[in-house]
This record gives sequence, structure tokens and C-alpha cells, in this order.
Amino acid sequence: MIDSGFLTDLARTAKSVALAILPIVAVFVVFQLWLLKLPRAELIRIAAGTVMASLGLFLFLLGVSIGFMPFGRAIGVAVGSLSHQWLVVPFGLVLGFVTTWGEPAVRILADQVEEASGGSIRQRLVMIAICTGVAVAMGLGLFRISHGIPLVWLLAPGYALVIVTLWLSEKEFVSIAVDAGGVATGPLANTFLLALALGASSVVPGQDPLVHGLGLVALIALAPILSVMTLGLLIRWKARRKKP
Amino acid sequence: MLALLKEKLFEALRAVAPLIVVVCVLQFTIVGASTTVFLQFLAGSALVTLGLLLLSAGVDLGLLPMGRFIGAAMAQKHSLMLMLVVAFALGFATTAAEPDVIVLAGQAEAAAQGTLSAQPLVYIIATGVGLFVSVAMLRVVWGYSMAWQLTAVYSMMIVLSLLAPSALAPLAYDAGSVTTGVLSGPAVLALALGVSAVLGGRSSIADGFGLLGMASAGPIIVLLLLGLLR
Repeated sequence: MIDSGFLTDLARTAKSVALAILPIVAVFVVFQLWLLKLPRAELIRIAAGTVMASLGLFLFLLGVSIGFMPFGRAIGVAVGSLSHQWLVVPFGLVLGFVTTWGEPAVRILADQVEEASGGSIRQRLVMIAICTGVAVAMGLGLFRISHGIPLVWLLAPGYALVIVTLWLSEKEFVSIAVDAGGVATGPLANTFLLALALGASSVVPGQDPLVHGLGLVALIALAPILSVMTLGLLIRWKARRKKP
Repeated sequence: MLALLKEKLFEALRAVAPLIVVVCVLQFTIVGASTTVFLQFLAGSALVTLGLLLLSAGVDLGLLPMGRFIGAAMAQKHSLMLMLVVAFALGFATTAAEPDVIVLAGQAEAAAQGTLSAQPLVYIIATGVGLFVSVAMLRVVWGYSMAWQLTAVYSMMIVLSLLAPSALAPLAYDAGSVTTGVLSGPAVLALALGVSAVLGGRSSIADGFGLLGMASAGPIIVLLLLGLLR
């Protein structure tokens, strides 16, 4: 069963996890020796946690590459042979939502928001806002691909809208929103959503799937900024209505 | 410890369940992938769930405290220089080490038809991220307005993307996503929260968040600029 492809996968995944964790550990070691001087028990806990997180990421990425990647491609092919092109949009909405729901960094950000706000901004609300944003981005992105709309036509007005909205929003939600845009594009989005986009692009005549598959990630990074700020505006609007 | 793992197990299941359900529905309605591919998916889901469980427990135990300790120690030192250097180093190192960046630099080389080459590009992008994280850190310390900072950054992005060669724009925007990894993201987040908690006197949400977003803007602006300058 174990072929060389699987072993290469293993080695590549292990290497990328090691490279990702090293810089952080290096900075921590410098601080520990120089300033922190944390007690042994604390150090052991942090070390155990770091090993656990690295092992977890390793298993996660391995699962994604051996299990999700092939199925993502199968979805791409199936979408490519759909009888009605517009059907690709609901596909994108649903998959956009559920993949982001499973994205680890999104969850961690939402947890931190709930903790830092002392529970006044619920983790679940932030998750729903981010996932809705990505879902809409996927829908728009697939629509863009099937109609050959240039990416800049969506991104330039999109970021202009971000600038307008951020002046209306509370500064807490602006900060959270920008970070939400940063974490929404994780390993799950890169396998499922990209495969879907490539599949949709492959059936449009005269399109280079690589060129049009690209840029989807850009939309996925933009949309949660808007949706989280919108959540902030909604919360404020609701609070105002309650007060007579 | 066991209680934590149990809680995280439910959390991991809740995180992955919707995706698994949707994939199963798709499999039996439209996709109809081969049994091998579907079984592979199910095996992959088990690994992903277990991975998520360990990852999120490990982040809570290891990476978040690590970031918070570093942030708090830096803020107590009252050395702006130190904070900027650490912010730059973390931004630079986590980006330069990210495998996606290397792939991306290769694509940029191809899109620019040989006028940019991949290896220096990796370092240029990483420098861009380092600089932007430092600027974001400066904001946490000095507490100037996030709104102005973002307006400046996003306006620059819009103008540059209208001017830059059209093949480069999608690539540049995609580059924004490579900077926030699953491990470095939480550590940087906790670090900023640690700094703003010690500096005190202001909203830890408004000041503690926003670093990751700035990190994502870095490579976009750097790549677009390069496209204009060459």
C-alpha cells in the first residue's frame, strides 16, 4: 500500500510544518534566555503544547493532501460537466461556507475575539460572519470566472467599499475584520475552493484555468473584511433600536 | 488536560462535520467519484479531525502563551526598537519559510516574463511583510488611528492595482494569503494582544488585532510596486 508518492507527501508535509514552527520557537528561545526566564514547569507545558500543535498540523495537512485533494479535483471535474453553468454558483456558496467553518486559523481568531472582548462578541457570530463572507466571495468568484470579468473590476471597488465602511464602523470591528481577511485563506480553502474554481474555469472556452483560478484567493481574503465590519454595524444598529 | 482534549474533540468534530456532510451529499448526487477517492476522503477526514484536535489543544497550551509572554516581555522593556525588530523578524522569517511563497515567486517569475527572478523575490516579499508588521506594531504602541492606516494602505493597493501590468494583479493579491500560516497566525495574534495588554489604557481589541491583516497587505503592495518599477 505504501508507495513512494505517499512517503514524499509525508516528508514534504513534515518539512513545511517544521519550517513554519521554527521562526516562532527561535524568537521564544531568545526571549526565554534573555528576558523571560520562565520556570521549568511552564516551559514544559509550552514545549508540550508546541509539539502537540505541530503534530496536529502535520496530521491535518496530511489528511488534506491524501484525502481532500483528490476529492476536490473530482468536484472540479463534476462542476466542469454540469449541464447548467449557473449551478456552479450555489456550489460555491455552500462549499465556501463549510470549508471556512473547518479552517483552523479562523476558529482560533474567533476564539481570541471572544476572549479579548470578555465574551461580549461571541465566537459563533464572528465565525458566521467570516464564513458568510467567504461564501459570497466564492459565489462572486465563480460568477466572475463564467463571465470572464477582470479581477480588478471586483477588487478595486471592493477595497474602496472597505475604506468607506471602516470609517462608519467601530474601531474594534475594524481591527478584527482586517485580521479575518488574513486568516480566511487556509489549507482547506486552497484545496477545495481552488479545485472548484479550476473546474469551473476549465469549461469556459478560451480561458486559461491557471490565470482565472488565480485571484479567487484574493476575493476570499477581501470578503470577510467587509462581512465582519457589517456584523459590527448590525450589532450597533440592534443595540440602538433597543434603547428608546 | 483530559478535559481539555475532550472539549477540543467535540470542537474538532463540530468544525469538520458540515464539510463532511456536504461532501457526502455531493458524492451521492452530482460528483460520484470512484469508491477509492471517496474512501480516501473519509480516511483523510479522520486524520483532519485528529489533527485539528491536537492543533487546537497545542495552540492553547503552547503557541498562545508563547506569543503572549513574548509580547508582554517586550512591552515591559519599553523599547520601541526591540518591538519593531521582533515584529520585522517574525514577519520576515515566517514568510520566507512558507512553502507557498516559493511556489508563488515561481509563478511571478513566469508572469513577469523573466524580468523578475524567483529567489530574490522570496526575500523581497518577506521584507515587505516584515516592514508591514513593524508598521502595524508601531500603531499598537503609539495608538494612532487604525482607520487612517488602513485607508492609506488600501488606497495605495487600489491605485497600484489599476496601474500595474494586468497579469501581475491577480498574482499580487493571491500573495496576500501566503503570509498567515496556521501556526504563525495565532502566535502573532497573541503577541500583539500581549503587547497591548501590558501597555494598557486602551481597548485591547482595537489595538491587539489588525497585525495579521497588515501582514497580508505587505506582499500585495510590494509585488504591485515591483511590477510598476521594473
